Amino acid sequence: MAKKEKTYTEALQELKNILAEIENDDVDLDILIKKTKDATQLISLCKEKLYKADQEVQKLLDDIE
Amino acid sequence: MDNIPSISLHELNSLIRTVVDESLPRYLWVRAETSDVRVNQNGHCYLEFIEKDASGKNVVAKARGAIWSNIFRMLKPFFEQETGQAFTSGLNVLVQVSVDFHELYGFSLTVQNIDPSYTLGDQARNRARIIKQLEDEGVLDMNKELKLPQPTNRIAVISSPTAAGYEDFCNQLQNNQRGFVFYTKLFPSIMQGDKTEPSVIAALESIYEHRECFDAVAIIRGGGATSDLSCFDSYLLAANCAQFPLPVITGIGHERDETVLDIVAHTRAKTPTAVAEFLIGQMESLSGHLLDIQHSLSKTATQRLHEEEMRINATLAHLSYKYKETMQRQSADITKLSVLLKNTVNSSLSEEKHFLEMKEQHLRLISPQNILKKGYTLTLRSGKIVKYAGDLDIGDGITTLFADGRIESIVQKKNK
Repeated sequence: MAKKEKTYTEALQELKNILAEIENDDVDLDILIKKTKDATQLISLCKEKLYKADQEVQKLLDDIE
Repeated sequence: MDNIPSISLHELNSLIRTVVDESLPRYLWVRAETSDVRVNQNGHCYLEFIEKDASGKNVVAKARGAIWSNIFRMLKPFFEQETGQAFTSGLNVLVQVSVDFHELYGFSLTVQNIDPSYTLGDQARNRARIIKQLEDEGVLDMNKELKLPQPTNRIAVISSPTAAGYEDFCNQLQNNQRGFVFYTKLFPSIMQGDKTEPSVIAALESIYEHRECFDAVAIIRGGGATSDLSCFDSYLLAANCAQFPLPVITGIGHERDETVLDIVAHTRAKTPTAVAEFLIGQMESLSGHLLDIQHSLSKTATQRLHEEEMRINATLAHLSYKYKETMQRQSADITKLSVLLKNTVNSSLSEEKHFLEMKEQHLRLISPQNILKKGYTLTLRSGKIVKYAGDLDIGDGITTLFADGRIESIVQKKNK
C-alpha cells in the first residue's frame, strides 16, 4: 500500500535512477533483474496516474462546497 | 434696492447660453472619464464625464453628458469592436462633444463622436502601470516560476457556469483521444463587468482552501460578442493570480493584446479549447517521456542480458579450453611417467639379471666339481674332508675324489 502513496514525480525520479544504475556495466545480473521488475511496476504506476480514473479523486472534488 | 439693475434667472441662463453658443466652437474634443453610464428605453445613453486629480481619488471636474440614440447605435459597436472593451463606466475616453446650455436643464455635453485609439492607449498605459507595480513588488513572474505538477490533471475551473466555452473545455478534456484522465471542478464566477474582479478573487480563495486537491487553475471565458476585457486588467486580480500557489492557465477568449491577467498567468491560451489542448499536450509529453524511459530500460536491460550471455559464453569457452589443455597436459605427463617407469623397471631388471648371471658364473667357477675338473682332488677320511697332511696317520684309509670318480688308498708314508 505504501507504493500507492508514491507521487508521479517520485516514481519518475526513481525510474531515472534505475535507468542510470542499470546503464552501468558493472551492475550485478540479479540486481538488474530486480531493478527491471521494479521499473516495470513504476511505469505501470505512472501510466495509471495518466490514464486510469480514480473515483476517489473525483469524489473528493465533487464534495467541495 | 429697486434701482439696482437686475435680470431674471431665465434671462441670465439665456445670456449664458448665448455666450456659450457664441464663444465656443461648435464641436470640441474632450478627454474625460466615463461614469454612471446608463441607457434608457429609447436607446439614449446618459452618463457623467469626470476628471480626477493625479492621485486618482478626487474628482476635480464633472459634467453631464448624453449620447443620443441615433449616434449611440453606431458609436457603441464601433467603440467596442475597436477596443475589445464594452462602453461602460470607468473608461478614459476622447469624445467629440458640443457644449449645450439649456435654461432649464443647465450645462451638458452632447457626444457626437469618439476616438477609440485614445481609450486603447489609456488601457495600455493602465496595463503598463499595473505591470510596473507588480514588477516592483517582485510578484510579476511568481506564478510563471511554478512548475506544472506531474501530471497536471486535477483542474480547478473558474468560469461562468453557463458559458459555452466552459462546456467546450470540459468536453475536450473528457473526450481526449489518448484517453488521459482529467478531473475538473467548477468554481463559478462572474466573468464580465465590474463584478468580475471580486468574483474571480472569491473563486481563487475557495480554490486556495482546497489547493491540495488541484494541480492547476484554469480561468476561462467563452467566446460570444466582444465584451469587456478591462476587468482583467486589474491590479488586485493580477496580484492574486501571480501569487497563487497553483499554476494559473488563462483562456479568456480574445485575440487582442494580452490582459494583465494573461501576463501574470503561468500559461496563457487564447480560448478555453486552447487551454484544454495545452493540458492534453502536457499529458502527452509526460506519456511520451514515460515511453522513452520504458524503451531505454528495455534496451539497456536487453543489452545487459546479452552482454552477460556473451560473458558467460566466453567464460564457458575459456573453461572448456582450459579443461582440454589440462587434460592433454596431464595425459602427456602420465604417458611420460609410464614410459619412464617402464624404462626404469626394465633397466633395473636387466641389471639384476646380469648380476645374477655373474653370480651364477662365479658360483659355477668355484664349484668343487669344476675345481676337480681342473686336476685338483679332494681327500676324505671317514667321509670328512682332510685339509692337512699332518691330520693323517700311516695306515689311515683315505678316499680321493676325482672329477670322474673316487679311489680308496692307505697312507704308507708321511713327509714333512
